[in-house]
Amino acid sequence: MVMDDKTLLEVKGLKTHFPLDEGLVKAIDGVDFSVQRGKTLCIVGESGCGKSMTARSILQIVQPPGRIVEGEILFRRPGTNGQPGTVVDIAKMDPKGKAIREIRGQEISMIFQEPMTSLSPVHTIGDQIGEVVRIHNNASKEEAKARTIDVLERVGIPKAADRFDTYPFQLSGGMRQRSMIAMALANTPSLLIADEPTTALDVTTQAQILDLMRGLQQELDMAMMFITHDLGVVAEIADEVVVMYLGLVVERGTVDEIFHDPKHPYTRALLRSIPRLGRATKARLDSIKGMVPSPFDRPRGCPFHTRCESFMPGKCDEILPLPTTLSERRDVRCLLYGEGDGAVGRTESSKVLENVG
Amino acid sequence: MSSKPMASTPPLLELNNLQMHFPVSSGVVNRHSGVVKAVDGVSLTIQEGETLGLVGESGCGKTTTGRAILRAIDPTGGQINYRRADGQVVDLATLNNRQLKPYRREIRMVFQDPYSSLNPRMTVLEVVSEPLRVNKVARGRDIEDRVAELLRRVGLRPEYMRRYPHAFSGGERQRISIARALALNPRLVVLDEAVSALDVSVRAQILNLLEDLQDELKLTYLFISHDLSVIEHICDRVAVMYVGKLVETAETSKIFTTPSHPYTEALISSVPIADPRMRNTRTRIKLQGEIADPAHPPSGCYFHPRCRFATEKCSAETPPWKQTSNGQWALCHYAGEIDTKGILDLESSAAD
Repeated sequence: MVMDDKTLLEVKGLKTHFPLDEGLVKAIDGVDFSVQRGKTLCIVGESGCGKSMTARSILQIVQPPGRIVEGEILFRRPGTNGQPGTVVDIAKMDPKGKAIREIRGQEISMIFQEPMTSLSPVHTIGDQIGEVVRIHNNASKEEAKARTIDVLERVGIPKAADRFDTYPFQLSGGMRQRSMIAMALANTPSLLIADEPTTALDVTTQAQILDLMRGLQQELDMAMMFITHDLGVVAEIADEVVVMYLGLVVERGTVDEIFHDPKHPYTRALLRSIPRLGRATKARLDSIKGMVPSPFDRPRGCPFHTRCESFMPGKCDEILPLPTTLSERRDVRCLLYGEGDGAVGRTESSKVLENVG
Repeated sequence: MSSKPMASTPPLLELNNLQMHFPVSSGVVNRHSGVVKAVDGVSLTIQEGETLGLVGESGCGKTTTGRAILRAIDPTGGQINYRRADGQVVDLATLNNRQLKPYRREIRMVFQDPYSSLNPRMTVLEVVSEPLRVNKVARGRDIEDRVAELLRRVGLRPEYMRRYPHAFSGGERQRISIARALALNPRLVVLDEAVSALDVSVRAQILNLLEDLQDELKLTYLFISHDLSVIEHICDRVAVMYVGKLVETAETSKIFTTPSHPYTEALISSVPIADPRMRNTRTRIKLQGEIADPAHPPSGCYFHPRCRFATEKCSAETPPWKQTSNGQWALCHYAGEIDTKGILDLESSAAD
């Protein structure tokens, strides 16, 4: 387990599979990336590409029968007195064990997409946030309340002391999402995972929440893993971007590289298919042909070959490419750039080829 | 039924001071305690063959307006003047169910969520042919031929017509919804967030399909959406709503470059731009606070508590409709006088 100081989380060759009656669903089938301390990593992809499942795997909250079958999730725990903390492998932890429960909600916390369904409707906002504080800090009710009000103020909820006793249904969508953020931040985690936190919100509210998250990140020096399908949001908030397709990371790079020098045909097609404000109107959009294949019926070889405009018959439908490193922290999984060098530290290529063939 | 003689360039549909007020009742005896003005005096026109975008945030009344046009709900005031193919103008708001029947064939709707808008117990054939059967347009073998033709037109394979909706992806389901809407050769299609639930790559396919169908079939669209980049892409004209009121209408090219209402300006400014290089060079106009509660709207202009140009006049007097020098209409005391920023102003410093 070698991980440099700047890296907070490193995911290597992660695979999460769901053995269902209908067949094996490979929700995640080879995910490699790392999150750097204090930086924002965006995971982008269409529905069903495994981006939410990646987040759930990191917290070990994959619903059964799904489970992590392969790979490592290395996380550096916070150190004391400037000493680097120890590195643990979350993938090896028992989903119900003590070890992961110490990390969940304390060192890594998560914000979910739908603020209405992820908050309890029968508990007050104060109760729900206070619970997080009490469980992890052994705090008394009074201390927890003071901390809760403090964190509610921090996320910009006006009259925080009065809102302590309100129920989620009494709050607007934006205020609920602020409460969710407050709950996630109550224990000042070193990594915040946000799963489509602004998708259910209106544009003006979304702009407010993105600003808030950016501000809080700087203030608390926290790393963020931001999951979204909205490329506009990615461009606003990301430092680095991971593009996923059918359970695989197909491309990884800085936000500028992804938007201005995309390598993978999927990334290129995605960027071309969005209408852009202020650009020539009424021109036809470039769309990607076909649709995301069913998870029960994954294409052989590169999973994108059925929709790819650079499809090479006899190659793409046979060989599953491995990530090819283009430069430091930049790789692409496409046969146009080689069959992959496997430099990111995974099972050797022959083994993967065997699995495909 | 009220009929008017044909004007020189008559619109296909004209909303005149449309109102939809929902009563609010409270307490054990359900006492009438107020009204929510979901749609409060909306007037707009839709020309034949054009795409009008209706944009606004959740709760602004855009969907209610769409439903009122279809008479899925009964408006509490105002007129919905629809011009028939023979040139006669009828006010749909005054018709009863029986009188409405012919118009229900001509105005159709496509809903947002392709997962809940198709009956899971009906095959695609049944879903798409239902309007044909109900209206006795086709029978027997004809039905299947019509459905096959419709499916082909929206880019689906007719062989799949005996399958159930669960066998299709979101984008395919939305194509089925569009096929159903087109079954009776409508003149006006109300698209209520028709692409909002779709993935980026599929959304582009459906937008292209809608444009092709409009060209082929001379359709008129009312395109309801909260997504400004989609609105800009597909619409000829745009109408912006805020808390039940229309606040601005203009041609698409104008509204994005020179918005005349401060709310339009803020909406445009809030859209995330898919270019990281723009991140630090853009000046964003941020709205403070939240959307007003339509049951207890603010005094004067509904937008004044969040407006960066607001004066005392704005909180005291209801603004009139004003036309700016370049032909845009805005519900603002200071329309045309204030320096609102359009998409190009926001980007100007980022030019590279």
